[in-house]
Amino acid sequence: MKRFEFIQPSSVEEALAAWEPGAAWLGGGTNLLDLMKIGAMQPDRVIDITRLPGLSGIETLSDGSIRIGALVRNSDLAVNATVARDLPMVAEALLSGASGQLRNAATVGGNLMQHTRCNYFQDPHAACNRREPGAGCDAREAGDRMALLGWSDGCIATNPSDFCVPLAALDAVIEVRGPQGAREIHVSEFHLLPGDNPQRVTALEPGELILALRLPPEATAFAGHARYLKVRDRTSFAFAMSSAAAALKMEDGRISDARLALGAVAAKPWRAAEAEAMLSGAAPEEALFTRAADAALAEAKPSGDNAWKIDLARRTAVRALLMAAAGTPARIPALPASPFGSKVGDLAHA
Amino acid sequence: MSLDDPKGGIALTLNGEAVILGADPAARLSEVLRERAGARDVKVGCNAGDCGACTVLLDGEAVCACITAAGQVEGRVVETQRGLLEGPEGQRLAAAFQRHQAAQCGICTPGMMVSAAALLRRGGALNEAAVADALGGVLCRCTGYRKIIDAVLDASRHKALVAEGDRAPVSEGGVGARVERLDGWPKVAGLERFGDDVAPADALSLRVIRSPFHRAGFTFGDLDAYRAAAGLELVLTAKDVPGENCFGVIPGFEDQPVFAEGETRFKGEAVAAVVGTPEALAALPDFPVTWEERPANLTPRGAAEAAQLHGTRADNVMCRGRVARGDAAGAMPGAAHVVSGDFSTGFIEHAYIEPEAAVARRVGDRIEVQCCTQAPYMNRDGLARILGLAPGDVRILPTATGGGFGSKLDLTAQPYVALAAWRLNRPVRIAYTRTESIASSTKRHPSEIRMEIGADAEGRLVAETFDGVFNTGAYASWGPTVANRVPIHASGPYLTPNYRADSAGVHTNTAPSGAFRGFGVPQSAVAQEQLFDMLAEKLGMDRLAFRKLNCLRNGDPTVTGQVFETGMGIEACFEALEPHWAWALAGAEQFNATHDTVKRGVGVAGGWYGCGNTSMSNPSTIRAGVTPAGEVVLHQGAMDIGQGSNTVITQIFAEALGVSVSQVALVGPDTDVTPDAGKTSASRQTFITGNAARLAGAALRAQILRLGNVGEGAEIGFEDGTIVLSEGGEKRRVELPQDEGYALEVTESYDPPTLPLDENGQGVPYAVFGTTAQMAELEVDLELGTVKLLRIVAAHDVGRAINPLLVEGQIEGGVAQGLGLALMEEFLPGRTENLHDYLIPTIGDVPPIESIIIESGDEHGPFGAKGLGEHCLIPTAPAVLNAIAHASGARIHHLPATPATVRAAILAQRENGTE
Repeated sequence: MKRFEFIQPSSVEEALAAWEPGAAWLGGGTNLLDLMKIGAMQPDRVIDITRLPGLSGIETLSDGSIRIGALVRNSDLAVNATVARDLPMVAEALLSGASGQLRNAATVGGNLMQHTRCNYFQDPHAACNRREPGAGCDAREAGDRMALLGWSDGCIATNPSDFCVPLAALDAVIEVRGPQGAREIHVSEFHLLPGDNPQRVTALEPGELILALRLPPEATAFAGHARYLKVRDRTSFAFAMSSAAAALKMEDGRISDARLALGAVAAKPWRAAEAEAMLSGAAPEEALFTRAADAALAEAKPSGDNAWKIDLARRTAVRALLMAAAGTPARIPALPASPFGSKVGDLAHA
Repeated sequence: MSLDDPKGGIALTLNGEAVILGADPAARLSEVLRERAGARDVKVGCNAGDCGACTVLLDGEAVCACITAAGQVEGRVVETQRGLLEGPEGQRLAAAFQRHQAAQCGICTPGMMVSAAALLRRGGALNEAAVADALGGVLCRCTGYRKIIDAVLDASRHKALVAEGDRAPVSEGGVGARVERLDGWPKVAGLERFGDDVAPADALSLRVIRSPFHRAGFTFGDLDAYRAAAGLELVLTAKDVPGENCFGVIPGFEDQPVFAEGETRFKGEAVAAVVGTPEALAALPDFPVTWEERPANLTPRGAAEAAQLHGTRADNVMCRGRVARGDAAGAMPGAAHVVSGDFSTGFIEHAYIEPEAAVARRVGDRIEVQCCTQAPYMNRDGLARILGLAPGDVRILPTATGGGFGSKLDLTAQPYVALAAWRLNRPVRIAYTRTESIASSTKRHPSEIRMEIGADAEGRLVAETFDGVFNTGAYASWGPTVANRVPIHASGPYLTPNYRADSAGVHTNTAPSGAFRGFGVPQSAVAQEQLFDMLAEKLGMDRLAFRKLNCLRNGDPTVTGQVFETGMGIEACFEALEPHWAWALAGAEQFNATHDTVKRGVGVAGGWYGCGNTSMSNPSTIRAGVTPAGEVVLHQGAMDIGQGSNTVITQIFAEALGVSVSQVALVGPDTDVTPDAGKTSASRQTFITGNAARLAGAALRAQILRLGNVGEGAEIGFEDGTIVLSEGGEKRRVELPQDEGYALEVTESYDPPTLPLDENGQGVPYAVFGTTAQMAELEVDLELGTVKLLRIVAAHDVGRAINPLLVEGQIEGGVAQGLGLALMEEFLPGRTENLHDYLIPTIGDVPPIESIIIESGDEHGPFGAKGLGEHCLIPTAPAVLNAIAHASGARIHHLPATPATVRAAILAQRENGTE
């Protein structure tokens, strides 16, 4: 492993001042430390931000927004009463991700920054434009679980986060601060599609640090009909083959507003705006959901031996919408986000 | 702070004590705890947060120490398994884990117990889902998790769960008793020491340089200059091997170099090794090697045209196997119903949680190697050949072995540390990284099988043909065993009058395929047992009734012409499933009547496995003695890799001697003092070493009775250096001879009676077959292709259960591995060399398992016992696949049955249905 400096600032200001090109922020370490040890990331300076004050709170602001500090751990966020009640699919997505051990370490900011799990990005011997611009992409030859939407010839990697999928559906805003001061980034603009610059994976400018995440007041309006569904190879502790966050606002038996985002299909959580427009104002029926899912995947094209994933992603979206229409269960199922975990039980907002 | 000048130290509270550990703040907490604080109860399985073996509590919360930077724990509270034993949760957990036999090999036990302790501290009533969630990040490859769930639920209550009736474990008892694992306490108390836990503090570290290409030529730069510049003690390559640069396991098939010469044949093959201080290795500059990537062939399909991997093996065929009986080709056209199909399975990684690890030291002109292993004597002889020493000058001191399942039979890390320690005369250690372990260790053979089966109008088997091609990888390893064993077993435990089975092991540029629980039989069962379902469907017969009709019975010839007059228990296994089968079928029908998207299915499969090596001498020897002080000592050389031989062999020995197990002191498999009990493989230890232990116990008993001149029925006891013999209410004391060493000593061997096979595979390959039938209930989501297991019922004829508690442990663990084979596991060279891309079942993936033990006895087995280890997973995958087909109508031909594969099969079936 490459030599580097390890710095532990005690304030945001100190942290920002410590940053220099080639530095990396260290949160829970669940992703960065692993990538450093296998040689996929080689920072010159590691800045441990886990002791920065003021970044660990969850609060409801006066306008009804929910603000979540960047250092809040996934495990704390998932069981927070406000989040469980008002943003149930965020809690469900968190609990479907990784393992208890990792959720105890992983932070909100770190999850937003999570790197792709593409084998070829992780293997320092493989060609990867994301790791080494211009090197090529070995995944093009062999990848069978890669992106369907928004990929480029240079990179077909997907974003592995569960958490970010409902965030995309709910219009989360990310508060950052950097050398040029503070700014906000809408989650849909935070993760970047590869295009010609696959090495640039987020909209963060050099030296910018995530301070918090904010869910707008209207995000809580979907709490009665909001589900996250994740299809994976084993019951737990596996990345999604495909996932979907579906949220409906129901009025008089009709959908008055809808949100749909897909996971594991692109380099970013994929918000399906056209599908949402088709759902708004309609009665919740499977045929409608199927049309909406078709619309969501209309632009999908295989990036390798993964045409099967288009059908799976479509069906995942349909099922997530059906589950959302049935209502959010009062308690998160024993198997969060599983197609087998959601059959019975009281509804949260019946 | 930086790596170059770590300032001060990291202050933390470790298990209640304030400590300051000098360490690089970016070092892994796991490494710092183990190497600086001596906390060897923190185990390392993957170094990537994937396996959870290193779980510690950080301020009371379970985290993976391997991905926690040491600097981040400054001022915080860290607790490990050892520390938790000081508190009530840890104590309750340790007692419950031991009571439920929740620890088999024990490598995952610290992670399991630490995670469970955090859960218990939260308080409140627990259910299975809560336990599964809390322990979901800790992988176990041995137990199948069910006994771990039971133990945690038990520990959450203040009164023990299982203390009732005859199912309660006991600490004393002979053959047939549910004796708690005799070596269990160190595992639950954080005291067990595995391959990487025993190196002295001054040991040098070794790292192996491996090929990054499937096939490559290579040239080294100036190695002397590199060694000097990098501050290394030694660089090793092929030219540094004093003996033969070659090892292997089957006579005539030793073909694997310690270091490749001229060309590497698989990605991950060793070309060199570097030895130095841990600091020097941490800062290692790029190794001076130039690679020339060459065209590689990864599948048997292209093998005939590909470059020869081994000069004498034409078309890259390593060897072939055949069994033929009757006239299969002639009889098949006469069958009323015929089914056929192609089936394939991929590479399966053993994924033991303990990576290969070893430490070697030179003692005069001998070399001593401590390592995890399944085969100490075979390792000894192989190392002697590499080092150019006599076998007696090599000593293998096995550590606890954190799972093996076949892959720790072969030499792995041992030659490297032995060569280095020999040259440097300093202790040298290595623990493989997870990536290195998966890349370089042996695998289950991928299979491509074509099979055809015909039955008459009543459903009786008429003929079977089987053609199996197995990818044996770059080197032979146990490939010849697979090629030989599969044709003998591919019929399953069914009467098959006309039979022809051909197999071939084919070389490719992949990691060598070797031994993995079942030696190819699980793969052939996937084909045969699925075709049985297809045949039963054609016949309109109940699938279990079809199997029962065709069961081998006492007096029937097997496909090799062997006839068992007693102990063929497969029919009893199917009979034991019948009530469960009827109930499950009715349940599925009822469920499916009201559900459209999710469908329930039930599947059944049988299996058999011959215990011991195929038509080969494979003896075990047991030594035992009584010390002048009156202590009975058993030299138990059968490696206990978690399966329980330390307990089972002792039970057999104690029963034969006529003492209680607690009176027997164990000496483990050290090649200097304990004779060769053969390999822990092929389900042979209970049967073969068990027989040697039975003979040793009986011989020692005879010596003692003779010494006291008492009759056969006398009771043996020991008091203050004398033997106390009780007979007919009278006690007689006999002084023990006060000799050096043992006062009384016996050595007994057992070699199972087998006969060679002729050119058609006819003969007596094994003295003993164990049989099994399993049933799987599951649900399939037809739209997403996902599968959820509901229940497994596993009936096993073990002849006689020496220890039913441990039998259940073997069954549950084997079933879990079978589920992995069926549903999720496939090693893809270069792409799945970690435990988040290579997925094995987690605690949430294994449903309740009901074990049914059948005891039909055995003519040769000790007290009638047969082996069990491999049998447990053979029927699991086909039972699951048959249940998927029952639920969805879709037949899975190519494993694993991932959601994508299941969904594709459902779509294909619908398309065919509308044609």
